[in-house]
Amino acid sequence: MVRAPALSAPIDLSPVVADALSNGLRVRILADRLVPVVSYYTFFRVGSRNERPGTTGISHLFEHMMFNGSERFGPKEFDRVLEAHGGASNAYTSNDLTVYHDDFASEALPVVVDLESDRMRALRITDDGLAQERSVVMEERRLRTENSHFGLMEEQLESLVFQAHPYRWPVIGWMDDIARISRADCLEFFATYYAPGNAAIYVCGDVDPDDLLARIEAAYGAIPAGPPVPPPVGGEPPQRGERRAAIRHPAHAAAMLAGFRGPAAADPDSPVLDVLQTCLASGEGSRLRRRLVTELEVAVSVGVGWTWRADPGVFLLSMELAPGASPRKAELALWAEIDRIATRGVTEREMARARALLRSGVLHELSTRSGVAHAMGQAEALLGDWREAGRALERYAAVTSADVRRAAREWLDPLKRNVVWLEPEATN
Amino acid sequence: MSGVVLPDLREVRLANGLHVVVGRRPGVPLAAARLLVRAGSALDPAGAFGLAHLVALSSRRGAGRRTGRAIDDLVEALGADLGGGAEEDASVHGLSAPVEVLPRLLEVLAAVVTRPTFPKEEFDRLRRRERAELAHDSDEPGTVADRALLEAVYVDHPYGHPVDGRDRDLAQLRRPDAVAFHERWFGPAEALLVVTGPVDPGQTLDEAERRLGRWRPTKALPPELSSAVRRPRRVVVVDKPDATQAQIRIGGVGIPRRSDDYFPALLANAILGGGFTSRLVEAIRVNRGLSYGVRSRFAVGRASGLFVVSSFTKNETAGELVEVAVDEMARFASSGPTAEEVARAASYLAGLFPLSLETHDQWADRIGDAWIFGYDVAEVPEFPDRIRCIGAEEARGAALRHLPLEDGVVLAVGPAAQLEKQLARFGPVEVWPVRRAIW
Repeated sequence: MVRAPALSAPIDLSPVVADALSNGLRVRILADRLVPVVSYYTFFRVGSRNERPGTTGISHLFEHMMFNGSERFGPKEFDRVLEAHGGASNAYTSNDLTVYHDDFASEALPVVVDLESDRMRALRITDDGLAQERSVVMEERRLRTENSHFGLMEEQLESLVFQAHPYRWPVIGWMDDIARISRADCLEFFATYYAPGNAAIYVCGDVDPDDLLARIEAAYGAIPAGPPVPPPVGGEPPQRGERRAAIRHPAHAAAMLAGFRGPAAADPDSPVLDVLQTCLASGEGSRLRRRLVTELEVAVSVGVGWTWRADPGVFLLSMELAPGASPRKAELALWAEIDRIATRGVTEREMARARALLRSGVLHELSTRSGVAHAMGQAEALLGDWREAGRALERYAAVTSADVRRAAREWLDPLKRNVVWLEPEATN
Repeated sequence: MSGVVLPDLREVRLANGLHVVVGRRPGVPLAAARLLVRAGSALDPAGAFGLAHLVALSSRRGAGRRTGRAIDDLVEALGADLGGGAEEDASVHGLSAPVEVLPRLLEVLAAVVTRPTFPKEEFDRLRRRERAELAHDSDEPGTVADRALLEAVYVDHPYGHPVDGRDRDLAQLRRPDAVAFHERWFGPAEALLVVTGPVDPGQTLDEAERRLGRWRPTKALPPELSSAVRRPRRVVVVDKPDATQAQIRIGGVGIPRRSDDYFPALLANAILGGGFTSRLVEAIRVNRGLSYGVRSRFAVGRASGLFVVSSFTKNETAGELVEVAVDEMARFASSGPTAEEVARAASYLAGLFPLSLETHDQWADRIGDAWIFGYDVAEVPEFPDRIRCIGAEEARGAALRHLPLEDGVVLAVGPAAQLEKQLARFGPVEVWPVRRAIW
């Protein structure tokens, strides 16, 4: 019999120094001085969820604009200065958040605080910069969506799952909207969503927290708090029957993407669905891999995507079919497995396996400075408290097999299913 | 000071020749292990491309007295991950596990590498799955471009085929091929076990001796390969009529890891196409908005290497993008970088270096690399100093010697009807069907 791994906290967050400036900017710092590097995150609470039709994709386009110069640093200077000091930057936009990330040698800390505070305080938004980033983003859209089967299917699926909520459009936005977004839109967007009251900084690495806090206060403290952020337009009518769509595209084999509307991140069922995801599709011994890929050989790959979002998100199931395999047979086999869990649940052995795999996943995530800083930011943005980053294992320990069965029955109800099939057209 | 702290290393060589390295270091309570055998895809026989890869995958599907399913159940119940794969120069089986279950799983890792049973039905199933995955790969323009580039640049060199092989070869492979490959090349004399994490070194070394001390040597050792041959520049268009965007590669024979030019080339590449402020990014993304991304890199192997510029753009601007990239390479090789660029790139590479060695897995991989490529792990913390002492002229020299200025291949995946004419100015054009990169 396999011994369950020890359930200790995966990381000690008690030394975190947490504060908020008078303009609302939240700061959380964890010192880790083993090697002279720092990971520095800035989270803004804005994503495609805050957009409206006509300017979809503005959050993501704006993320590009943040690298095009601010008052004290000219266009293209941000990365040049950062790299010259031994650092690198990155950023991403999701449905809920826009996140900026700098990794650097610790001696660059004063420079990074300068760079980051300057662009939060006084970003330059020019017509030239906008025109250039617009064409870059259009290429990004051609790459990730229009020339990618999965990209095409995902876009179609989200618009089936959501009819009212802003999650129904893609984070990158519709091509026509990317073309339409104006400088005035960008100025308004910056004034609304990039004020310190809508932002938080997470740092992990070789820093003196008190010294850094003073530095941040000096650099960011005078930035005005900004107006209150308008609440996103939420809400979604209940789904009352299955929805299906097909994409015909040149391809060598069929593929399927299905989705169910799930709970919001803060819902107690979110960790339950993590466990369900692990039982279904993590590892060779997971149910879907074993049944669809190994035993029936109808699928080449099968996956479950369950990403926590601020509002109720999507529980995704994906399959790439073996060439020549029957889509109907593959889909029926998939739903049979889901039904089996919804009616009979999972075994205690599967529960223990899922907890062990999830524990290792959490430890992997927290084994880098970047991982720790990011986890604190995610936890605060989605669960309301950065301390939740250290509580993942407690959440999984509380999940029972009865919870998994109930969650499968409730959230993966066939009447609330959304299915997109890639139907191959002949290729060259 | 580089900021990188070498793990507390214990190295031994067992009586049968196996190298064992244990690197104890603080950190999360996980352990990483790698068992490397110097038998990679470069040893795939002609007509059997993909064999080393299939051997690595299928050895996980039955070993000693355990079935593949029993291995899955044991490994995953302990929260661990065990997987095998081939690279050009080696087969690598990796384990990442909670540190408290490491001894138990080292036994499984050892069995998978030294005593695989290659059950016929599992071997055939994996072979079918690999072929099906290739069908999906053929729909991904970027993957098609990367696969085609290997053949276009390396031609008949042993590095000149993708590790996961070709469909027509996979179709022919049978279980006895896997058994023969394993028997011929998998032995302790050219193998390394590395374990990193908060482990007990003495206990880990004992476990290595117990599980791998009786591994029997092979009759022959893998041959050393020569470097690949450089050829005059040509253009390859892989025809994908439905694509609205062309995937572009500019590639050539680069350098092996042991080259004296390794560090100068690394620095030169950082300036030309490495980071976000490289000359290529500036010219292609920032100044012209031609692409979302462009990168260049020297991918190094034990015997040879590949230099490649990767980007993509809408079909109409493929020729313009290639022109800009080729001009930037030529300009770099003739006038070299500025002192400011050299200083910036050196800071960038040196400053970020510690972040490439934060985790136990990263250390296990790095120690494995050092062994395959023949450098001393103790040198690893010196990398930033090695980078910082390179001058502009040295970087220019490496670029002049190793960038494909008049040789190599310009390759594009997209509609040939649109691309062929745009690219003809760069060399004689061949049009390949997509299936050539897959089948």
